[in-house]
Amino acid sequence: MVTEDSDTENKYKQADAAETSPGGRSPVGRRRFLQAAGAGAAVGLAGCSGGGGGDGGPVTLGAANILSGFASLYGEEAERGIDFAVSEINDNGGIDGRDVEVLVRDTEASADTAIQQIRSLVQEDNVDGLFGLDSSGVAQAVAPQISQLQMPFMITHAATPFVTSPQGEHEDSVGNEYVFRDSNSLAQDIYGAARVAENLDATEWATIGPDYAFGYETWDYFQAYCDGLGVEAEFTAEQFPALATSDYTPFISSILDADPDAVLTPLWGADLTTFIGQAESAGWFDQIDHTLFSVGMGTDLPSDGSPLPEGEYASTRYDPFVPDTEANNSFREAYYEEYESLPTYNAEGAYRAVHLYKEAIESAGGTDPSALVDEFTGMEHSGPVGDYQFSETNQATVASIWGTVTYDDEWESNVLDPVNRYEAGPDVLSEALGDSDLPAGI
Amino acid sequence: MSLTSLVPLIGIADVVIGLSLGSRLFLIAVGLSLIFGVLGVLNFAHGGFYMLGAYVTLAVVSNVVDNFWIAVVVGALAVGVVGAAIEFSAIRRLYNRVDSDLDQLIVTFGFVLVIHEAVRFIWGSGSYSIDPPDVFNFSVTLGGSTFNAYRLVVIGLAVGVLVALWLFITRTYFGSLVRGTSSDREMAAMLGVDVPRLYTGVFFLGSVLAGLGGALSAPLQATSPALGDQVIIDAFIVVVIGGLGSMSGAFVGAMLIGMMQSLGPQFISAGSIAIPFLAMVIVLLIRPEGLFGGIGE
Repeated sequence: MVTEDSDTENKYKQADAAETSPGGRSPVGRRRFLQAAGAGAAVGLAGCSGGGGGDGGPVTLGAANILSGFASLYGEEAERGIDFAVSEINDNGGIDGRDVEVLVRDTEASADTAIQQIRSLVQEDNVDGLFGLDSSGVAQAVAPQISQLQMPFMITHAATPFVTSPQGEHEDSVGNEYVFRDSNSLAQDIYGAARVAENLDATEWATIGPDYAFGYETWDYFQAYCDGLGVEAEFTAEQFPALATSDYTPFISSILDADPDAVLTPLWGADLTTFIGQAESAGWFDQIDHTLFSVGMGTDLPSDGSPLPEGEYASTRYDPFVPDTEANNSFREAYYEEYESLPTYNAEGAYRAVHLYKEAIESAGGTDPSALVDEFTGMEHSGPVGDYQFSETNQATVASIWGTVTYDDEWESNVLDPVNRYEAGPDVLSEALGDSDLPAGI
Repeated sequence: MSLTSLVPLIGIADVVIGLSLGSRLFLIAVGLSLIFGVLGVLNFAHGGFYMLGAYVTLAVVSNVVDNFWIAVVVGALAVGVVGAAIEFSAIRRLYNRVDSDLDQLIVTFGFVLVIHEAVRFIWGSGSYSIDPPDVFNFSVTLGGSTFNAYRLVVIGLAVGVLVALWLFITRTYFGSLVRGTSSDREMAAMLGVDVPRLYTGVFFLGSVLAGLGGALSAPLQATSPALGDQVIIDAFIVVVIGGLGSMSGAFVGAMLIGMMQSLGPQFISAGSIAIPFLAMVIVLLIRPEGLFGGIGE
C-alpha cells in the first residue's frame, strides 16, 4: 500500500486562476487552458475506462479517509485494515493474478479536500475503484461527484442514510447507482438504539451531538423510531457543539440542568474522548441513569485501551466477537497477532471493501467501472461481519449491534457484553420509522 | 418558553464555568491588547502562543517533572521566549514601514501557520488532556450543579494577574516607560529610552500571558492543533468589545464573553457559538471604540 500526499490542490488552484484571470488577458490563455482541460478530461476518461496499470499491472484502488485532525485515528485504523487485506490478497495470488495496491489520501474531514483527493485519484492515478469516507457531511457532498466521475465508491464508515436513499426520495437524498456502503448506516444503527430504549426505565431523553448532518440526523431518527416503535419517551434537551470543540463544559452543564433520565450521544473521534473526560468530572455518570454512545465502540477509545464508562450502552458497526463464526474468529486472531489490538469497525470495513473489489473484479473479469457497479448491485457477500447482501439502494444489510460496555482485561480493550444484534432489513426499518418522512436508506 | 421558566435553569455552576472561561480569555486577550496598545502590532500568532503554552505544559508535566505548577511556569516562560524571538527576528523590522499594518498582519499570520505546523510535527494532530493538580481536583456541588474546584483557582489567578499587571504598569519604573513610549515613541527615544529593547520586553510579557492562559487551561480542555484558531477569534472579540489597548476592557470583555459561552447553550441548542459575534456587532454599532475604548490606557 502506498500513502501519498497530493499536490493536486495547487494544480487545481492554478487552473482556476488561469480561467478566471482578471483584466481579460489574451484569449490565447483561455484557449490554451481549454485545451489543457480537454487533455485532462481525456486522461480522466482513460482512467474511468479502467485502463489502470494495464491488464498485466496491478489493480489500483483509491481510499479517502480522515488522516489528520480530531478523527485521524479513523484513517489510521482504516489503513491497518487496508494493509491487512492487501497483504492477504497479494500473498494468495492477488486479484486474477494481478497484485492489488491502494493509494490512501487524507480528506481532513473536509468536503472540498475529499472531492479534490477523489478527483485526483481518478484522473491522475487512474484508480480502478474507490472506497473510504468517515464523515456523513463529507459523504453527502461527495456522492454527487462520484456519480459524475462514474466510478464505484464503497463507503466504509460515513453513516448518513441520505447517501443510500435514491435522489428524490427526500430533499437531502443524494444516493445514486455508483455509491455503495458496506457498513451499517445511521438509520440501521439508531434503530438498535431505539430498541435499547424500549427496554430501559427512562422516559426523558436528551442528546449531545456534533453540529452537522450526523448530529441532527441521529436525533431525528431516534425520535422517529421511538414514535414508530411506541417507546414511551419525551425529548427534553438537545445540544449541538461544533466539531473539534475543546471544552464541552457549557454544553454538559446545560444537559445536566435539564436532568434527563437518559442521553443518546453520537459524538465521535477525539471529541468523544474529550467529552467523556469532561462529563466525568462534572458528575454526568452519577446524575444521568443511562448514556447511549452511538459511536462509542468506534476507534479512539477501544484502540488506546482507555475505558468507556462501564455499564453504559454503545453500538458498533462490527463486533470482533459477534457473529461467532470461523471467518470472524480467524480475522480477529490474525489481526490481533499483527497489531496487538482488536480490529475496530473502521479497520474491518476497509478490509472488507478491498475484498469486495477483489470479488467483483474477478467476477466481472476486469475493472470496467460499469461492470463493477453491476457486480456490486445486489451482491451477496460474507466477511468477518457476517453474511449480508446489498439492498436495492446499495446499502449492506448488516445488523445493528448494541451492547453494554465492559472492560476486558484479556484483550485490554472495551468490549460489549452482553451484546445484541438487531436484524434491520428494509421492511423492519420502514415500518419502525412510522409516520416520519425520513428514508430508511436501505 | 418564557424567560421566567428559563431563569431556574441557570445554576451556580454555569456562572462559575462562565467566569473560568472568561478568565482564560482574559489572559490571552490582555496580552493581545498590551502588544497592540504599546507596539501597535495586531498579533495574529497570539492564539498560537496560547496553544503552545498548553502543549509545553502538557509535555513538561508528562515527561519531565510531575508538578503542574512548575510546568505552568515553564510553559508560560517558553512561550515568552518564542514571542521575544519572533519580535526580535521579524516584527522589529516592520515598525517603520509605510504599510506596516498589512506587513505585520501577513508576518504574524505566517507565524500562525509555522506554529501550527510545528505543533503538528512534534505532537501530531490528535488531542491531549491532563488532570488538574491533585490538590484542586475535586468536585464542588452548589445549588444542585457540579463543577471542578480547579475552575475557582483559574478565576482567582486571572484576577491576580489583572491586579499585578495594573500595579506593574501604573506603579513601576518599567511601567511608566511603557506608558510613555506607547504615547510618544519618538519622544521616549530622545529621552534615552531603549525603545527596541522595551518593545521586545513588552512582546515577551504579552506572550508570557498568552502562554500562561494556555498552560492554566490545559486541564480544562482538550489540547489539539485547532486550539489556537478557536481562541484567537474569541480573543479578538474580547478586545473589540472591551476596547483595543484597554486592560480593564479586556477583563470585562472576557468575562462577558465567558458568560455568553457558558449560558448560550441554555437558550439555543445549536449555533450558540454565534452569540459572542452578535454581541461584538452590537457593541461596534453602539460604541465603535469598545466599552472601555481609548488606546493606551
